[in-house]
Amino acid sequence: MTELNIPGSQSTPAIQGDWSAGVLAMQGDSYPENSFELFGQVIDWVERFLREAGRPLTLELHLLYLNTSSIKALMDIFDLLEEAHRDALPVSVNWHYDSRNERVAELAEEFREDCSFPFAILPVSE
Amino acid sequence: MSSEHELDQLVEDLLSDPQHYGHPLREGLARLQQQNLDQLSRLERIARISDGYQSLAREQNLSLSERYHRQLRQLEKVARISDRYQDMLRDLNQALKDASQRDVLTGLANRRMLMERLREEELRSQRSGRPFVLAMLDVDYFKQINDTWGHEVGDRALSEIARVLQTEVRGCDLCGRWGGEEFLLLLPGTVQSEAQPLIERLRSGLRGLRVAVGSEELSLTASFGVAERLAGESYSQTLNRADAALLEAKNSGRDRCVLALGSGCGQI
Repeated sequence: MTELNIPGSQSTPAIQGDWSAGVLAMQGDSYPENSFELFGQVIDWVERFLREAGRPLTLELHLLYLNTSSIKALMDIFDLLEEAHRDALPVSVNWHYDSRNERVAELAEEFREDCSFPFAILPVSE
Repeated sequence: MSSEHELDQLVEDLLSDPQHYGHPLREGLARLQQQNLDQLSRLERIARISDGYQSLAREQNLSLSERYHRQLRQLEKVARISDRYQDMLRDLNQALKDASQRDVLTGLANRRMLMERLREEELRSQRSGRPFVLAMLDVDYFKQINDTWGHEVGDRALSEIARVLQTEVRGCDLCGRWGGEEFLLLLPGTVQSEAQPLIERLRSGLRGLRVAVGSEELSLTASFGVAERLAGESYSQTLNRADAALLEAKNSGRDRCVLALGSGCGQI
């Protein structure tokens, strides 16, 4: 399985991993009952892509609310990207946020703090 | 160390000196020296292995402590970010609550919030036996303002009225927009005689209000119906008596305040 396609729900984000394009996208709120189960497969996908694909990987994030375990999972994913970046693999993150909610941008900045790979925080006006 | 070395050298010299070959003690000394050397090398091997174990344990300890500190840093960061998400949600909740309880035009309490507070006050009044007073206020000839000057001026007048009311009421009073050009004042722990000076203050505040329309100024008045909660009465009954008093004020010429008596009305 190289494609990842998890439909979103009220408490979980929609997640798409496009192996051939090298894009992992997530949209929505994230407060799953079992975040290990949800993000475990995403982390597996990222690990496999970085190990096998040999192509650039970009994350396109449209995330709003994250509960504590989702924050942890996301930081684990960023750690994987940071490791790949140290090994000279081209990785990047585009964090899109609603321009009416600057506080999401501030939170994205907190995530970005420890990342040395390209990490853009982009306002979206509706 | 050097004396050990000297002893070694002495023994080596004695053993290698040909004149001692065949001496009965030489065989004993040679075996003793060999045993000494064996033990020494064994000791060194033990020390080396032991050092190896020690440095392995030390490295493990270092990497464990490094991992521990890295995870601790991550945990602190997770907690910090999580706290900020919670702050965001709490503020959002507050904003939603405000939006659901405030009148958009005037910023006063809306009907939903008034109802909520009326229910609370009814219970409080039942418990404490202290009455509250409701004052229903209706702007006189407001339709004419809208018809003559347009809704934009009407809206502005309502905002100005709201500002006057909000300035004049006491801290514990609640002033809200009941609907249209009707406002409701909830005066907790108050009897009608205490409410009268407050109502007079409001009336004179409104009389002094001037709403600028182009180069002209608009002045206005309001009619009031006031009722004090009677023992055993529900808030909607009190509200009905205030409403009836307001109707009476309207019918008897407007720009006045009518106090609801137990059953009938009285004018001030």
